[in-house]
Amino acid sequence: MSRYIATRAIRGANALVKEAELMLNKALAEKGPDTKVSFPNTAYYLPLIYGMTGIAVEKLSDLQPVVKHAKILLHPTPSESHWTPYLGETLDSGMATLLAAEAIEAIRFVYGQQPEPIPGLVLAGGTSYPSLDTSENGHGGHLNGPIDDIQLRTWGIQLVDGRMPGFAAIVGAAKSNEVAVKIVRELQRRNILCFLSGNVNGRSIIHQLMEEGVELGYDTYTVPFGTDTISAIYALGFATRSALTFGGLKAGQAREILLYNRERVFAFVLALGEVDDLKYAAAAGAINFGFPVIADTIIPEILPTGITRYEHVVSMPFNEIEGADDLERAERLVQKCIEVRGVKVKLAEVPVPVPYGSAFEGEVVRKNDMRVEFGGKHSRCFEYLYMAPLDEVVDGKVEIIGPSFDNIPSQGHLDMGIIVKVAGRQMQEDFEPVLERQIHYFINGASGIQHIGQRDIAWIRISNNAADKGFNLEHFGKILHARYHADFGAIVDKVQVSIITEPELLQQWLGKARTAYDYRNKRLADLTDDKVEEFYSCTLCQSFAPNHVCVVSPERLGLCGAYNWLDCKASFNINPTGPNQPIRLGKVIDPVKGYWVGTNEYAKIGSHGVVQEVSMYSIMENPMTACGCFECIVMLIPEANGVMVVSREDPSMTPAGMTFSTLAGIAGGGLQTPGVMGVGKFYLLSPKFISADGGFKRVVWMSSVLKDMMAEELRAVAIREGDPDLIEKIADERNVTTVEELLVWLEEHNHPALMMEPMF
Amino acid sequence: MPVEIPKDKWPGSVRTVTIGALPKDGGTRKCTVTVGGETTMPFLHYEGEIPNRPVVAIEIMDRQPDDWSPLLAEAWKDVMDDPAKWAVAAEQAGADLLVLELSLNNRNGEPTTPDEAVSAVKSVLAASGLPLIVFGPGQAEADNALLVPISEATKGERIVLGICEDKNYRTIVATAMANDHLVSARTAMDVNLAKQLNILISDMGLPLDRILMDPTTGALGYGIEYGFSVMERLRLAALQGDKMTQLPMIVTPGYEAWKIKESKVGEGVPETWGDWLNRAINWETLTAITLLESGADVLVLRHPESVKRVKRAIDELMSAKELV
Repeated sequence: MSRYIATRAIRGANALVKEAELMLNKALAEKGPDTKVSFPNTAYYLPLIYGMTGIAVEKLSDLQPVVKHAKILLHPTPSESHWTPYLGETLDSGMATLLAAEAIEAIRFVYGQQPEPIPGLVLAGGTSYPSLDTSENGHGGHLNGPIDDIQLRTWGIQLVDGRMPGFAAIVGAAKSNEVAVKIVRELQRRNILCFLSGNVNGRSIIHQLMEEGVELGYDTYTVPFGTDTISAIYALGFATRSALTFGGLKAGQAREILLYNRERVFAFVLALGEVDDLKYAAAAGAINFGFPVIADTIIPEILPTGITRYEHVVSMPFNEIEGADDLERAERLVQKCIEVRGVKVKLAEVPVPVPYGSAFEGEVVRKNDMRVEFGGKHSRCFEYLYMAPLDEVVDGKVEIIGPSFDNIPSQGHLDMGIIVKVAGRQMQEDFEPVLERQIHYFINGASGIQHIGQRDIAWIRISNNAADKGFNLEHFGKILHARYHADFGAIVDKVQVSIITEPELLQQWLGKARTAYDYRNKRLADLTDDKVEEFYSCTLCQSFAPNHVCVVSPERLGLCGAYNWLDCKASFNINPTGPNQPIRLGKVIDPVKGYWVGTNEYAKIGSHGVVQEVSMYSIMENPMTACGCFECIVMLIPEANGVMVVSREDPSMTPAGMTFSTLAGIAGGGLQTPGVMGVGKFYLLSPKFISADGGFKRVVWMSSVLKDMMAEELRAVAIREGDPDLIEKIADERNVTTVEELLVWLEEHNHPALMMEPMF
Repeated sequence: MPVEIPKDKWPGSVRTVTIGALPKDGGTRKCTVTVGGETTMPFLHYEGEIPNRPVVAIEIMDRQPDDWSPLLAEAWKDVMDDPAKWAVAAEQAGADLLVLELSLNNRNGEPTTPDEAVSAVKSVLAASGLPLIVFGPGQAEADNALLVPISEATKGERIVLGICEDKNYRTIVATAMANDHLVSARTAMDVNLAKQLNILISDMGLPLDRILMDPTTGALGYGIEYGFSVMERLRLAALQGDKMTQLPMIVTPGYEAWKIKESKVGEGVPETWGDWLNRAINWETLTAITLLESGADVLVLRHPESVKRVKRAIDELMSAKELV
């Protein structure tokens, strides 16, 4: 914590608590200790005081212990010359400030000084003051003061259920009226509540908005509390009541209430204009709630996280914000606030002129119905997603660089690159390929659009129908922006898309993309089981195989082939209570067979006690169970001292005397059957493929469809195993369907399995 | 030779959940219903405790339903267009508690308004002193729009609000928390999904003893074995000590059994199917009793005759403990 801030906050707190004390003494003398004290229409007394101290203030004398408590929380300002810790002191002073501020507002109510009068304002919905609001002027002639319980319930529910992402307590005045309006509009656009208070040299954002004719009140989600800083306390009273109402918390549970707000109420303070002692003190109060402070002036920053989720105090001097004009700067400022508090913004739907939904994913666009295509035989299409720092991504921006397809003849083609730049607090480089692969599903969801392939072999068609409805290149970007937010909001905060058709730039980006693809391939190849500390569970299939659990490691993907270790990691980050949970490996028990303390423990829990131990690398001893979704079945052929691998796509007879479908009954159902295992086909290529039993050289028979599908990869495995002709030595259903034939084949081809140690 | 019956000693138990609040506790109910508390699989009285008997709720609607079987209309006659009268009739038919389901549209075919929904709930609460469960129309937006004002208008009654689903639970849970109600959490026949939803709901701060879980089911002959085994597994997990599955289960055999052809259709079906009414009631009864055996704590039924039969079955299953 900056000593400068600490000094000013503590000074501000001392001053305000003193003021509260003087005001209270004066009020006690003038009005008497039994004078009623309350905020309008609330069952929570003075809510912040009630929540933090448990004191239910009903009359003036009840405020005495509150002020006393605030005084205890005060500290002397940090010494100029000696270093002492002062974060705790500053936070305490902040709390003292809040208690004092609420006491002051309560006393002002006693004197009729709250709600603050302001001529000419008619609120569009607000707290009702029967004595002030006559039938002619409605909610007129005064600011709102505290929010009442009715509105608290309406907004509180929306804050809890996520319809409303958070609230902004705006204190001070913006650079100009124009900027004030822009800031509020940007917040409103995102459904973020705006609470207005404070001033700079007498001018408040409330004045600015009134002059510009902006409607203020409950109905427009902009609530003017008061034109001084003290009235900002109503925002924290609102936050406290949210915790009491929707968090099931009780008055006096200060710590729990503060934590509730930190974790669940996405609020922040936006300080506009000069920050004085009192504002520092109030900001320190807000930090207690986990609400960070963003200032548009130069102030010392507090960037390390701790009380707040990310930074505590961020300075973003308005004139230094990048942007063509003040309006763009205002937009950036709001964007920054949202990032600092980690507010997640939701998009209701995918804005495209054609129907959109997963029902359209499998749609095929035939040549005759096609308006234009990208990729395929005649052109090139690639897609590339990468992460960038938060301030380098403009969320929602879709840029088209180069010509559109307007001048391309019907059924013609065009080169295109789709570049997606994402940023997010929880984003990791490892998630790039996971997210990039989603482009296929996302784009396919649009009716009349077909997407095939990935990376630099992507192939996209736009149908005549879709083009007639106005579908153009920009919509690819719109789709991606909306869907990444909707499906991956937990890890992605900002998405920017560039669609490139300009030939030279396209070549440049293609080069960059290919470098990245290579890098990722290498990263994947380097990602081995011994380099990580956790594997992931996958219980997605327990709905029909209740006791089966996949243990997914970098070198052993899920048996369905759809989930590798990176997918599981991303899935866990997106959905922490979901089907993919990290399994801490802990102590290794047997590195060859692949036993760890962690995997064994998890096997027991995940299988509900059915499986006691699981070996990651053996088919003979405690093999991993299977649900039924496996791409291949690996099965021991005892006579051949090896295993066969049958593909799901192979309907023919195998040397085991059973076809795939019969074998599936033995392999599935979550039971451990030594000698039988369901696996994903890419596991065959892994150096860890039944490595405890001799590895890939044990494969004596393999469905030809696998040999064809993975010809190149299998050749590489053969070389790795030191037997370049190995694949040719492996029999398949075209030449061998019985054990007798198999043995003859193996002898003829001199298969290494015959010379290996017995498998059991 | 004496045969020793093997007994399991389970480390866990099902939570007890109380629905409804008496006047002394801030509600207006004349009785409350408490379910759960089992320390053994269904009705194994020799092995553990089954402190609370399973209960039967009768499903009523806020107005004459559009798509219910004529057999049900015959059974309830003219009370069906008045939720208050229907509630009284249901109570007389032996319901332990009531389920009021709100229609998506009102009698005029326009979306049910919050005021209409609130007044339907209030009329039921005024007419019958039984504890109440309220289900929204089952569409996220409509559910939220109707259940929130109902929840506020009935603060403290400990009503069960439903239906919380994966995509739509936050609003309902929030309003239940703010107004001292309970919720019903529904997932589609999957142990892990059920557990996950319970985790998500309790993460919001709602205590677990204010949640019922609805694992959903199919009617007899329509996937009931699937539902049965999901419920059985949930209960086994609960008894093994998994906190997030230790909630009492509510199921809707009435809804399931009355939507299938065998109970819905009376004409043009094979003669061997026998008497229509008899068949339909048997179907509902058998569906319900099967689910009872898999661990259901609250059964939601529609026909008064089924209610009678299911309650008789519960009597017998519960009195079996005297035989031990």
